[in-house]
Amino acid sequence: MKDFLRNTWKHRAHVVLALPAFLVLFFIMYVPMTGLILAFKRFDSRLGIYGSPFCGLDNFKFLIASKAQFINFTSNTILYYVIFTVIGTFLNVALAIAIDQCIFKKTTKVMQTLMIIPVFISYAAVQFIVYAFISKDTGMINNLLGTNTSFYMNASYWTVILTITKIWKDTGYGSVLYMSVLAGIDTELYEAAEIDGANRWKKIWHITLPSLIPMITVMLLLSVGSIMKSDTGLFYQVTRDTGVLYDTTQVIDSFVLHSILKNSNFGFTAATSFFQSVVGLLLMLGANALVKKIEPENALF
Amino acid sequence: MARKKKEANLDLAPSKKEKMGPGQIVVLICLAIFTVFCFAPVVLVFVSAFTDEMYIVQHGFSFFPQKWSMAGMNAVLKYGKQLFTSYAVTIFVTVTGTLLGLLIMSMYAYAMSRKDFRLSKFLAIFLLIPMLFNGGQLSGYIIFTSVYHLKDNLLLLILPLCVTTMNVIILRTYIVNSIPGELMEAAKIDGAGEYRTFFQITLPLLKPSLAAVGFMMATAYWNDWQNAMLYIDTNSKKPLQLLLINIQKSIQFLLNNTNVPASARAAMGGTIPQNSATMATVIVVIGPIMIAYPFFQKYFIKGLTVGSVKG
Repeated sequence: MKDFLRNTWKHRAHVVLALPAFLVLFFIMYVPMTGLILAFKRFDSRLGIYGSPFCGLDNFKFLIASKAQFINFTSNTILYYVIFTVIGTFLNVALAIAIDQCIFKKTTKVMQTLMIIPVFISYAAVQFIVYAFISKDTGMINNLLGTNTSFYMNASYWTVILTITKIWKDTGYGSVLYMSVLAGIDTELYEAAEIDGANRWKKIWHITLPSLIPMITVMLLLSVGSIMKSDTGLFYQVTRDTGVLYDTTQVIDSFVLHSILKNSNFGFTAATSFFQSVVGLLLMLGANALVKKIEPENALF
Repeated sequence: MARKKKEANLDLAPSKKEKMGPGQIVVLICLAIFTVFCFAPVVLVFVSAFTDEMYIVQHGFSFFPQKWSMAGMNAVLKYGKQLFTSYAVTIFVTVTGTLLGLLIMSMYAYAMSRKDFRLSKFLAIFLLIPMLFNGGQLSGYIIFTSVYHLKDNLLLLILPLCVTTMNVIILRTYIVNSIPGELMEAAKIDGAGEYRTFFQITLPLLKPSLAAVGFMMATAYWNDWQNAMLYIDTNSKKPLQLLLINIQKSIQFLLNNTNVPASARAAMGGTIPQNSATMATVIVVIGPIMIAYPFFQKYFIKGLTVGSVKG
């Protein structure tokens, strides 16, 4: 203990350096964790978060009472996680390999720059781009097909619309990570394979893909930890928070944002939030444990 | 044959020595199609902003409109004061937040990277926990507004995005892997104090990594609509993204606003080119990032790569 104090005193400059970021983390990330007790309280804005009376598990009874809605947005959250992860990973890897294999390096460089641009457009702006394509009267898709579909009134189209939007926004950027792995593959491996008579497909299958597997595994496992979190902008902005579409578009995060902005149903929302945080923690711990087993270097802790 | 092989060895990319073949053409065409898929919507924004409003209403959005017009852009420029206010707010938040974040995160990362500093383990754990567990949006909202009483305060646009675990890890990895420890030892032997060592030796050497993290932070600040939507009420504090979200209301409001000269309102003839004006606003909002991005591309690609490999 004395040693520890002496060490800390010796490094007091480092303590000072770490302090500002420490305080920001403390007040922005740590203090709000205490807000989760709201799940067990009846919130009264006059009494404040800590003064509001406890109400046991009443809020969770709400959750069970409106379980149709709860099940809907929870299953949507998980469903979109699966769709985005499967399609996203496939496209990221495919794009990285295609760019890596293409011999027109200058052209691909320009293409890559253009492909990455969508990731920098906020969802507040993306919603207008999507609108230009799917609006009922002025939308491009209706015009090209000569149809008159009201996409904003019909929930069944939105799984596809959101998936395409997500692919459009994130694929170019997502492939960069895999490209960096490909750049690190030893050229001699390819040469040796060529001498052994391997053609292009064989080289991709036996060298390129296997060398990407560790990175794919790690990214997949780590993403498991954030199943409960979604890209709020995609589900809130792009859908314009339209009630008719909730069946296929509402996820936990967009539901919570909606309730905060509409100031409604705090008990239910608090219980949902609590559920989200706790399940998120468990998934994260599980994912990390798995990564640690398979690829110890890439574990978070 | 031997000579060919030697040349091939000089190339970094294994595929470069491949000859042009039908396979290459197919790959190139696929890439071109995907590029168009990614970039065409951006082009559509620009085209629509300069399309005649009546044309959009009658024929819909189009890449090749028959009738062009400046009305949409003019409407946006006539927003007058509010547009400038929102620009000023967004720029202020982006610059302050990015600089502050870079400074305090690199300080934290530096302290964390000192080997014989016993507290550094604690700092690492303290940094990691928020990644695993957090209060969620609702708790954050209630704590920030009813405990800190920061509703409608620009601090809530700056602080929540200021320190992120991933960015600190990227900076720390860079310090550990790319800045030789001997350099800092040498500075100390030469009599530089801890602060001087950090500000005059470490921080300047951290530049490539700061550029990468800084650009990512700046875009996050620039594009942040959620905090603005949750916390900002006053018009004088509304950032661009919020203006964009409330665009329909905004266009009405701005044009009926006393800040807009009566002559300008008269010139518009009372009609608002809704579709093209919206797209013109989108350009105004995303424009600066589109312009800045190519300059930072190489840095952030590097930053992304470094961040993925935990040192």
